[in-house]
Amino acid sequence: MTNLEKLRELVIDVFLLDPAEFRFDLTREEVDTWDSLALVSLAVGIKSTFGYHPTPAEAMSIHSVRDVIRILSEKGVRFEE
Amino acid sequence: MYILSETDLSADLTPLDEAWRRPESFVLLPDKSGVSREWLGHALGEVPRELDHDHFGLLTSGSTGQPKLIIGSRDRAKSLAAVLHRLQLSEPVRQTVLLLPLSYTYAFVNQWVWATVHKRTLVPTHGLSDPEGVEAALQTATDAMLCLVGAQVPMLARYFSDRSFPGVLRVHFAGGRFPQERLDVVRSLFPRAMIFSNYGCAEAMPRLTLRRAEDSDDPNDIGKPLPGVALKNGADGELLFQSPYGAVGFVGAEAFQAIGPDKWAGTGDLAEPTPSGTWRLSGRSREVFKRYGEKISLSLLMSTVSGAWKNNALFYREKDRAGEEGHVLLLAPAPSETEVRAILKGFRANHARVLWPLRIESVDSFPLLPNGKVDVLTASTLPGRTVHWYQRI
Repeated sequence: MTNLEKLRELVIDVFLLDPAEFRFDLTREEVDTWDSLALVSLAVGIKSTFGYHPTPAEAMSIHSVRDVIRILSEKGVRFEE
Repeated sequence: MYILSETDLSADLTPLDEAWRRPESFVLLPDKSGVSREWLGHALGEVPRELDHDHFGLLTSGSTGQPKLIIGSRDRAKSLAAVLHRLQLSEPVRQTVLLLPLSYTYAFVNQWVWATVHKRTLVPTHGLSDPEGVEAALQTATDAMLCLVGAQVPMLARYFSDRSFPGVLRVHFAGGRFPQERLDVVRSLFPRAMIFSNYGCAEAMPRLTLRRAEDSDDPNDIGKPLPGVALKNGADGELLFQSPYGAVGFVGAEAFQAIGPDKWAGTGDLAEPTPSGTWRLSGRSREVFKRYGEKISLSLLMSTVSGAWKNNALFYREKDRAGEEGHVLLLAPAPSETEVRAILKGFRANHARVLWPLRIESVDSFPLLPNGKVDVLTASTLPGRTVHWYQRI
């Protein structure tokens, strides 16, 4: 499984999305289940999936799936299309 | 007051018939009560001497899980049996098949006392631990009445999926959530039966309200109070009652507490009246709690689960990593991935995330208490539970 696929699976699971709802340019405003607890859950999921736990500041800056890719890419996680 | 052991009644109910005829009060000790003789001796010592005659005692775990000795009046129990006979249109019923332990207040009053008062036949079985015995009893049943708890419906469906038992005329449910979503199964198994939802508690000895299954689509609608029964909400929303059929008192952790005619006794349930005069349960007192400041009713959440899952389900409480109160959804048997997704979709559509369970788990089957109810404590600690989904908090 590629890192993009892992991220897709994680986001679907955390936000209880239908697979068809998922897009990599999905933003917070588009997801009704994106709340503070979801953010905690996403951060814990990122740690267990990619081995890096976002700092509180990084977690706060996550407004979209692209933001997750940006943060992890800066830590050396490669997301190849 | 003397002790009559249910174990001694397994082959022959004559000792119970005799005990009922004798004036001395007795306690029916469950087969597997888990109550020490020491505790029972202490409890019996607390019962006032004026109750030494014409009464009976039953044991219940109550909402706290601690033993409680409930003292009932035989006259009141007979009155209740007569009222139920009339309201449940039971005149054509000639026999009742026992699928629950006799020491369970529900079975004792709704079946044994009813059969005694109305001179009907009681057909004992070993319950669903002996499905062949139950099947034989149901196949030969004639104009019969059953008293079930909702948790038995999936087992009946599993054991007798391709059968029907036209000899059963009445099916009653009590002792837990009414299986509104499984009425198709009940009707298939018992095509000639009227189905009733009975509500009450051991302290009510045990009935307070009644409704026909088809009178509502809402499993939490418990119907209207029986004649003479008064219901109201306590300050915290708990459903309180006064009943001419209720227990006269009980011994719990403390000394004997009388339930006088003017006393409002608690049911342990939260409920609200509806405009049509029925009452609607909204949860157990202890099943409503706050999580991150949000009030959670596990009963309400279970309604969502039931929309997507037709087998057994329960919630048990657990704190999350932050130490905040939470809850876990346990299913039986294992759901498919599609079913888990459907449950989660229901949570997403109806409830804020803070109300979602910490995990969705499954086991092959739920352990049952001797009274037929699910043993939630044991279920929540069963080894080999499968985790289907979890919140990472």
